[in-house]
Amino acid sequence: MILSLSAIAMLIFGSVVLYGGLAYFLYKALKANKK
Amino acid sequence: MNIITKNEHWGSRFAFIMAAVGSAVGLGNVWRFPYVCYENGGGAFLIPFLVALFTAGIPMMILEFSVGHWTKSSPPKAFKKIGKKWEWIGWWTVLIPFILAAYYVVVMAWCFSYMIYSIDLRWGVNAEQFFLKSFLGITSSPAVIGDLRIPILLGLLAIWVCVFIILYKGVKRIGKVVAITVPIPTILLIILTIRGLTLPGAIEGISYYLTPNFSRLLDVNVWLAAYAQVFFSLGLAQGIMITYASFLHKKSDITNNAFIVSLADAGTSFLAGFTVFSVVGYLAVSQGVGITELGIGGPNLTFITYPTAISLLPFAASFFGMIFYTALLTFGIDSAFSMIEPVTSGIHDKWKISKAKATGIVCTLGFFASMIFATGGGLYWLEIVDHFIANFGLVAIGLVECLILGWMYKIHKLRDHANKTSDILIGKWWDILIKFVIPFVLCILLAVALINNIINPYMGYPWWIITLGGVVPIITIFLLSFVFMKIRGKEVKT
Repeated sequence: MILSLSAIAMLIFGSVVLYGGLAYFLYKALKANKK
Repeated sequence: MNIITKNEHWGSRFAFIMAAVGSAVGLGNVWRFPYVCYENGGGAFLIPFLVALFTAGIPMMILEFSVGHWTKSSPPKAFKKIGKKWEWIGWWTVLIPFILAAYYVVVMAWCFSYMIYSIDLRWGVNAEQFFLKSFLGITSSPAVIGDLRIPILLGLLAIWVCVFIILYKGVKRIGKVVAITVPIPTILLIILTIRGLTLPGAIEGISYYLTPNFSRLLDVNVWLAAYAQVFFSLGLAQGIMITYASFLHKKSDITNNAFIVSLADAGTSFLAGFTVFSVVGYLAVSQGVGITELGIGGPNLTFITYPTAISLLPFAASFFGMIFYTALLTFGIDSAFSMIEPVTSGIHDKWKISKAKATGIVCTLGFFASMIFATGGGLYWLEIVDHFIANFGLVAIGLVECLILGWMYKIHKLRDHANKTSDILIGKWWDILIKFVIPFVLCILLAVALINNIINPYMGYPWWIITLGGVVPIITIFLLSFVFMKIRGKEVKT
C-alpha cells in the first residue's frame, strides 16, 4: 500500500508550515543573536 | 536564608526557549494530538489546527510572555501590577496547574514503572489485563477507592523528589536540566518513528492519520477541537509562560520566542502522529483487526496498545519499549516541574519564603494530593478531575485573562512592550485577536462543554462523583485564590 496523493499533500503542507516555519524563526533568532 | 530575588535570569535565550518548549511539549503531544487529528478529518484537521495556532495559540503565547516580561513577576504579582483587585486571577492561574501536576505526575509514575517493566516485557500477552488489573488494581467504580498501589507510590515519590531537586535552586538549574530533557525525548521519538515506519502495516496506519476528509471542515466541532487542542497543548492559561518570561533579560525578544515555542510544540505533535500511527498500523495488520478497534488515544494508547505492539516487534522489543517510556518520562518531567514553578514563585514573591522552602512545601503537598490517584480507583478520579480542570478550569482562565488584559487594561501597552524588544513587530491585528477572537472561541468552548456535561454527565457517573471530582476542585481553587489575595504578604522587591 502507498499513501494517497491527498495524504502526501497534507504531509508536505504540515511539514512545510510547521518545520519550515520553525526553521525560519530559529534562523531569525540566530541572526539577531539576542540574550 | 536562600531568598532569590527576580534579579534571577535565564542563563541564555536557548535556556528559556528550551524550558518553554519543554513545558509545552508533554504527554498530550503523544497521546492526544494524533487521536484528535484522526477523529476530526485526518490530514484535513491540519488546516483548522494551523488556523487555531496562528489566531489563538501564538497570540496568547505572546500575551503571556509580554505580561511576564513586563511585570518581571509571578502571575499573582503580575496581575496585581495590572490592577490591585486582579491578584486573585494570578492565584487562580497558578493553583490550577498545581492540581494538574498532582495527577500528571501519576501518569509519569506509570511511565516510570513501564520503563522498568519493558526490560522483561512484564505485561505479557494481555497488556490490557496487566495494566488494569495487575498494575492499577482497578476497582469496580470511582466510589470504591481500593488500595494504594506501591509501585505507583514509589514512582510518585521519585518524581516529586526530582521535581524538587530541579526547582529549588531556581531557573539557572532549570536551564541546565532542559538542555538535556528537551532534546533527548525528541531524538528518541525520531528513533521510534523510523522504527515504526519500517514495520509492515505502518503505511496503512499513516494513511489513517493523514488522508484528509475535507467535508469535516464544514463541521464547527472540528474547529472547536482544533482550538481546544492548541490551547491545551501550548500550556497556556497555567501561569507557566508568565512565570518563565518573568526571568527573561530586559532586552529579550518576545514575539519570535513565542513563534519558536509554539511551532516546536506543534511540530512535535505532528511528528508524534507518525510514531503512534505507524505502530498502530503494524499492530492492526499483525492482529488482523481494524485500526478503529485499537485504543489510539490517552492511557489506552500508552499502556495497552503500544505495549502490545512492542511485544510483537521482531527484535529488540525491550529496547524500543524502554525508549518509548523514557521518551514519555523525559517529555513529562519538563511539563511537571513547569506546573509547580508558578505557584512556588507566587508564594516566594508574596511571602518572602525562600525558593527552596516554597518548593519543598508545594512538592510535599503535591505528593499527598497525588496519592488519591495512586489507588485502585485512581484512574477514574484522574479522568474525572482532568476532564473538568481542562474543559472548565483552563478555558475559564484563558477567557478571564483575555478579558482582563484586553478590556480592563490598555492592551496596546503590552503590544508596544513586545514590539520594543522583538525582531518581529505585531500590529493592531493582535489586539483584535486578544479582545474579540480568542474570547469568542473560548466562550463557545466553555458553553459547549457546559451543555454537553449537563445533558450527558461525564461517563454517566452519578452527580455526587462529578461534584466531588469536577466541581469541588475548581470551586476550592477559585475560593483559595481570594483567600491568598487577602492574606497580607511580605513582598520581595523586584
